[in-house]
Amino acid sequence: MKAPVLRLTASALAFAAFGGMALAQDVARENTVIFDLDRTIQDPENFNWMTPGTKRMHGAHQTMWEPLFILNYGTGDLDPWLATSFTGNADSTQFTINLREGVEWSDGEAFDADDVVFTVNLALTNEEISSREASTLRAQVESVEKLSNTSVAFQLKAPNPRFVVENFGVRIFGSFLIMPEHIWNGENAATFAFNPPIGTGPYTLNSAASNRAIWDRNDDWWGAKTGFMDLPAPERVIFLESGGEESRAQLMAANQLDAAQNVTIGTFEAIQAQNPNVIAWHDGYPYAASDPCARQLEINTTVAPWDNANMRKAVAHIIDRSMIVNVAYEGTTEASQTMFAQYGSMDPFINAIIDAGYGLSPRADVDAGVALIEGEGWVKDGDYYTKDGETLSVNIHVNSASTEYTRTIDVIVEQLQRAGIDARAVPVENGVFWGEVLPFGAYEMSYSWLSCGAVNEPWASMGRYTVTDVVPVGERSPGFNNTARWDGPAAEAYSAIMADIASRPLGDEAIPGLVAEAYQHLDAEMPFIPLVQAAKLLPMNTTYWTGWPTADNYYNHPFFWWNHTHQIIHNLEKVE
Amino acid sequence: MGRIPRDYLINRIVTLFLTILIAATIIWIIPRLSPVDPAEIALGRMAAGAGAVANSEEILAQLRANMGIDQPLIVQYLKYLGGALVFDFGLSTAAFPTPVSTLILNALPWTLGLMILSLIITFFIGNLLGALMVWDRSPKLVRVAIPAAMVFTSIPPILSGLLLMWIFAAKLQWFPLTGAYSIFVEPGWNWAFVQSVLHHGFLPALSIVIVTFGFWALGMRGLMITVQGEDYVKLAEAKGLRPRYILYRYMIRNAILPQITAFALKVGLLIAGQVLVERIFAYNGMGKLLYDAILNQDFPVIQGVSYVIILMTAISVFLVDLLYPFIDPRIRHEAA
Repeated sequence: MKAPVLRLTASALAFAAFGGMALAQDVARENTVIFDLDRTIQDPENFNWMTPGTKRMHGAHQTMWEPLFILNYGTGDLDPWLATSFTGNADSTQFTINLREGVEWSDGEAFDADDVVFTVNLALTNEEISSREASTLRAQVESVEKLSNTSVAFQLKAPNPRFVVENFGVRIFGSFLIMPEHIWNGENAATFAFNPPIGTGPYTLNSAASNRAIWDRNDDWWGAKTGFMDLPAPERVIFLESGGEESRAQLMAANQLDAAQNVTIGTFEAIQAQNPNVIAWHDGYPYAASDPCARQLEINTTVAPWDNANMRKAVAHIIDRSMIVNVAYEGTTEASQTMFAQYGSMDPFINAIIDAGYGLSPRADVDAGVALIEGEGWVKDGDYYTKDGETLSVNIHVNSASTEYTRTIDVIVEQLQRAGIDARAVPVENGVFWGEVLPFGAYEMSYSWLSCGAVNEPWASMGRYTVTDVVPVGERSPGFNNTARWDGPAAEAYSAIMADIASRPLGDEAIPGLVAEAYQHLDAEMPFIPLVQAAKLLPMNTTYWTGWPTADNYYNHPFFWWNHTHQIIHNLEKVE
Repeated sequence: MGRIPRDYLINRIVTLFLTILIAATIIWIIPRLSPVDPAEIALGRMAAGAGAVANSEEILAQLRANMGIDQPLIVQYLKYLGGALVFDFGLSTAAFPTPVSTLILNALPWTLGLMILSLIITFFIGNLLGALMVWDRSPKLVRVAIPAAMVFTSIPPILSGLLLMWIFAAKLQWFPLTGAYSIFVEPGWNWAFVQSVLHHGFLPALSIVIVTFGFWALGMRGLMITVQGEDYVKLAEAKGLRPRYILYRYMIRNAILPQITAFALKVGLLIAGQVLVERIFAYNGMGKLLYDAILNQDFPVIQGVSYVIILMTAISVFLVDLLYPFIDPRIRHEAA
């Protein structure tokens, strides 16, 4: 800013002149749904989602910007939204996406292929746009072409059967959002604030401030006019910064919040005691829904003695996942059976692995673990194993940002200590953990979720451990893949199977078998040890609204800060 | 009391600018001693949220360019100093590409409103109560009640905040639970907004006041005990002046000077806010901004907020230096 004083004065004058009115159209509480926002809206006047930073999860991509498709975590299907279908060629290098007819921006302009081509080209031609979605598209797409008003063709740089779900399907958190060409054309995509914003969604921005964003229903929404869907029931949607777990509990208990961000089981029970209308994903334990990023113990396979697969397997045997669930998570999650998040869409692959005998037991088998250690020449001397005068020890790096992480590692440290391994937790600040420790392999073991990715097909997770991503310790792992530096004949055999899976279209019947075949190498070498599912305990209030996503009322997952929240809002029903 | 000598004023202004320059340089150097690369952190944040990051090398290079950390250190330093002069601290790395100055301008009014109001209230209440604890004509009830009330000062502000929130917001519903103003009013210069701000600010301010007035009260008590035995107080009593006149004009006026110095220093520090109080009440002030910036290792924001704190402290001390002779006629400005 060149002249802050001038701006401050101008702002004050603007407030004096135009501000200060109560919101023009007050909407009754019973017609309003209030979602919890777990962060401050740092720049409430900027709606350019293409720059990294938070300009979407305050309701913009939940109410105003609609995706082309929405991935259903239960079925693995891509539910059509702004698009109706897509087709790919035989080698998955060309895709055609067909758009829905009759879609309009909230200012009345038609949404069509020109908008899609324009927005994709923005990402392709502007390297300064560094959002993850834009960068991913840039890495994958060679060119984009309008075939008709409702049809767009993509030419990819390399085969990718997952192209549509990865980029336009709300696979995790967001998707590549299409912007209106008639507003963005001629603007600098890296700096344009896009204020006031418009979208195709059934809500438009009423106002945004640092602690809340208010979205009002657009009764002229294209979806209702074309018969795609009825208007959603809430007349107003508010995303409100609650201020932390203590405050969100009080707001929930007082019916001033309809859906809250993650809380601990103790807080949830306290809320329910004061407000019995509050529910969660499950009626009883574990209450929480699983997040896509299952937790695991990463192992640096280049550091002795953990460069020995038997030693890594020993640790896997010694760890008791059920104890992690009960102690660290207080029963709010479940033990992982494989590396995958346990969604219905992943069942074919998880079942294939379990049927092949590679599923993990929730209970420890300490005897099997110590037998492997002793088989490698280590001898118990007092409390710990020793070999050639050296004590068997391990430092486990853990991100200190959350008690979830540190409590889990405390449990694991205790288990390893009891088994004779001198394990120590090394708490590390969040930025250092993600910026310096993990990508550079600066750890022996660490607690993280680097298998994150697979929610409807296995490659997104399994493809992260191939030998093509192996770099020496001290160099950054490409894309945070294979930070374990897992290499050698088994890793190469595994990578060959991965290359095969990578090229097969989604739904190919051979994939589950190939997954089991590849998993034998992971099971034998254990470059990481799956632990538990990631838990999100999200209180949802049925005082004013029902129809929340739950295990018994399944239509998709409940993470209301994601782009798929359009589905949640459309499913809400007013309590009469 | 009289005109401020020009040499003294120039000396103080030069000292003020040197203080700011040195402090600004230190807060620029400290983050750069860290081995952590803010661009790597931003990339790590992407990975933590959604797994693998394609094109990570390209993103990293772009982030470094956007943050200006791909330039030589001397260029970065000179740009920083030039920017600091016009309050341009670059772009936030966590809320990229929002200018740091925008974040500070958004947060500063809330902290100034809440914290300065709280500070002024606690300063007056604390000093008055501290004086009354010593004054031998205070009613007995006051002498007993004040130390009892100071039990609250041993409670951390976050607990007092939660307690007040539970009683007055959750149970009695007299005050709102969170936020700096109602979600149903638009910010602006109008009565509805002002009313909403005062209504929302009451509990956070009270939670700070009840735990901090003891600091002033105890300090004032000690100073009053010292002043109480001074000859000029004895003389005033011997002259038969009214006790209340002696209390205000002779005792409090002399005892208050060190407290005013402390007040000036606190003005700077309070810009950093009461982090936890701001957090539990979702009060988006400077404390919360700094807290979030530290968690996210958002160096430009940390530098910007620190700079504002330094600036406020230095200017407060500078002004107090100039104002002292007007408060205490015995003090004279001396030219350098």
